Amino acid sequence: MGLFVKDKASTASGAGEHGDKETSFFGAKLTVKGKVSGGGNLIVMGTLEGEFDLNGELVVAPSAQVNGEVKAVSVTVSGGFSGSLTAKQRIHLEKSSVVSGRLLAPKLSMAEGAVLNGEIEMKKPSEGKPAANDKTQKEKK
Amino acid sequence: MTKDATSGSTSLVSRPMVIEGEISGDESLHVDGRVKGIIRLKGDLFVGVGGVVDAEVDARNVIIQGTVTGKVIARRQLEVQSSGRFNGECTAASYEIREGAVFEGVSRMISTPPKNEPASIPSGQDSKRLA
Repeated sequence: MGLFVKDKASTASGAGEHGDKETSFFGAKLTVKGKVSGGGNLIVMGTLEGEFDLNGELVVAPSAQVNGEVKAVSVTVSGGFSGSLTAKQRIHLEKSSVVSGRLLAPKLSMAEGAVLNGEIEMKKPSEGKPAANDKTQKEKK
Repeated sequence: MTKDATSGSTSLVSRPMVIEGEISGDESLHVDGRVKGIIRLKGDLFVGVGGVVDAEVDARNVIIQGTVTGKVIARRQLEVQSSGRFNGECTAASYEIREGAVFEGVSRMISTPPKNEPASIPSGQDSKRLA
C-alpha cells in the first residue's frame, strides 16, 4: 500500500462502486493462499486462505470459500466464509452464504436463508464518516 | 458478475493489489499488480505493464510486459515483450524475446520429445532395402 498514489485518490471519491476502481477477479479454479493487500475491489469465486486487507469492496461469490482474516471497506458474501470479517462500512450476507466466525461492521444485513454462526460486533464509525449522515451534516452546519 | 466463471477464464490481479503467498489453479492469470511467492497455473501467466512478479512460476505460457524476477518454468513458451524485464532462471520449451526487452539470467530449454512424428524417420533407413 502507499505505492499507488493515483488509486488512493479514486478510492476516496468512489468507495464501494465497481466502476471507478479497478477490480481484481479470482476465478473459480484459482486458489490463493497468503497475504492479499491493496486497493481496488475483489471478486472471489475460488478459494482464498489467509489475511486480506483491502481498501475496497470484497465480493465472495456463491462458488467461493474464504477462510481467514478479512478487512475491507464493504463485504458481500454469497458463498462460504470462515474466520474474522471486518468491514469499515457494511457487510451483507446473501441467502446462499454460509458464514462462521466473527463479524465486525457498522452495518450488517442478511438475506433470509443465510447461515451465520458466530459473533457479531457493530460499531459506529468513530471518524466523521458519511455513514451517519444526518448527524454529521448538522454538526458541520 | 458470474458470467466469466466457467473454465478457461482468466483471473486478474489489478494494479492496486499486492499478494504475498501462493496462487495456484487450473486457469490463466493476468497480473497488473504485485505478486510475491509461488504461482502455479495450468493456464498462462500474463504480466501486464506495471505488473511486478517476484515468484517461483510454473505456467503454460508466460508473457511478460512488466517485471518478473525468479525461477520460471514455462511449459510452452516464455515471451518477453518490448516493455518487459525478466531476471532469473527460466526453463521453457520455446522463447520469444522482443527488441527492447530485458532478459538477465539463465535460460534452459525443455527438450520436447517429438510426439507423433513417424513420418520423418524413413529417409536414411530405406537405403538398405535398395541395396
